[in-house]
Amino acid sequence: MKRIYKYIFTVVLVVCPITLWAQPFPEADAAVLTSPEIAPADTAPMDFPQPLSLSDIPAQSAAPAIVVAQAIVGEEVPARELATFAGKEAQEEGEEEVPLIADPIAPFNKAMYHVNDKLYFWLLKPVTQVYSHTVPEPFRVVFSNAFDNLMSPGRVVNNLLQLRFKAAGNEFIRFIFNTVAGIGGLGDVAAPALGIKKQEADFGQTLGHYGIGHGFYLVLPLFGPSSVRDGVGIAADRFMYPLSYISSNELSFGAAAGIFAGEKVNDTSFHIGEYESFKDSAIDPYIAMRDAFVQYRQKKVEDSKK
Amino acid sequence: MSLQEETMKKCLTGVALFLCMIIPLPVFAGVPLETVKGNVDKVLDVLRDPALKPESAKKLRKDKIRAIAEKMFDFSELSKRTLTQHWSKFTPEQQKEFINLYKSLLEDSYADKILMYTDEKILFTKEIPLTEKTAEVQSTVIRKTDEIPIYYRVILKDGIWMIYDVVIEGVSLINNYRSQFREILVNKPPESLLETLRKKVKKA
Repeated sequence: MKRIYKYIFTVVLVVCPITLWAQPFPEADAAVLTSPEIAPADTAPMDFPQPLSLSDIPAQSAAPAIVVAQAIVGEEVPARELATFAGKEAQEEGEEEVPLIADPIAPFNKAMYHVNDKLYFWLLKPVTQVYSHTVPEPFRVVFSNAFDNLMSPGRVVNNLLQLRFKAAGNEFIRFIFNTVAGIGGLGDVAAPALGIKKQEADFGQTLGHYGIGHGFYLVLPLFGPSSVRDGVGIAADRFMYPLSYISSNELSFGAAAGIFAGEKVNDTSFHIGEYESFKDSAIDPYIAMRDAFVQYRQKKVEDSKK
Repeated sequence: MSLQEETMKKCLTGVALFLCMIIPLPVFAGVPLETVKGNVDKVLDVLRDPALKPESAKKLRKDKIRAIAEKMFDFSELSKRTLTQHWSKFTPEQQKEFINLYKSLLEDSYADKILMYTDEKILFTKEIPLTEKTAEVQSTVIRKTDEIPIYYRVILKDGIWMIYDVVIEGVSLINNYRSQFREILVNKPPESLLETLRKKVKKA
């Protein structure tokens, strides 16, 4: 039974922010339209990123989230999103244009951005610093490998869904080899022994691969910057995560949350200072992060098409 | 086919092969990569120098990095490409001040980012010509648990390849700053952007 709660928890985490803001949409919109910080049509030619074409999404495991998103987004998005797309500039020498994202729920996203910011400085960072001092780096690398190995099946599936058979095959061999020879993925032995590197792929990227746009920007608590599409991606990727399938008798919800926290702390121990440096160099960290997210994900989708 | 024809064919193939070898492919093959690599190595030397590590030597370290950055980055190109059509809204004096402020901001930002990778191995993998006068130099930082691609976009100015954009994990530096500056420039005059930058630079 408890396993079901885990799924609900994940889906709720994604859907909640959307539903929360479904109600005050018209009002929030009026505010968005008049808000000075959101660019009105400042640059002459405006294109719009591909609208979220939910009808194109094949029925799959993360259906609940999609249905909710559809219910909200499906209504009358285009007209009001006009104002929230920041203008796009054509660049000289035919360089690629800046990718854009709609941000109709900016007040919520900004609030979540601050929540995550505080979570990092008040909780994650101090905990991680103690952890790094206690656990020597070689151990942390081993844990990182083990956590990462659990994500491998998801990468195999997503590579397959993107029809990247070579990458899927390589990732599959890597998973088997690291699990057996690397003792449950404690060591990434496939890299030195077989010359196989990790073949990154996730479900948000898979959706992007088939031309599905972000929908709109969404900052998720704990997970950080995301979008409707990538939020659905996170939920779907949980279904490809082996620990989701261990019975609740053996892995309680508390233990699963503990694993999630452990993974987060262990991962952060290799990245202390990066967020600080990012914030230091930004003029407006919220916009800087939103833009970095869009560019980063754009690159991932482009890579999936190579 | 007569013997003569066959010999001639062989000769022609030989000549073609020979020509391929002596005619330089694109004129700049290898130069952008070597230039960027040389400059990055210089920055890393400064950052790795134990004499410059302590907090007291911060000023000296900054000056040294500044001197290298001056030759490494094309700051006016960077500024123009960041502001794009807003650039013409600035008076020549404002443009000059913007370049200077942006320069300080970028030097700190770049030094900060590359500082995190000083203990890691940085590989320069390849270069891709973008246009006749621009190219992309690709490098990878090999870390313990992951790899980070850092691409440098360079432009040929007076015979020297200078950086006009740094793309880390797909995130272009100038695009990122452009999206931030745009929010200010849309509703406010150039002066208020300069004021924001002055405050930011002073704080750092």
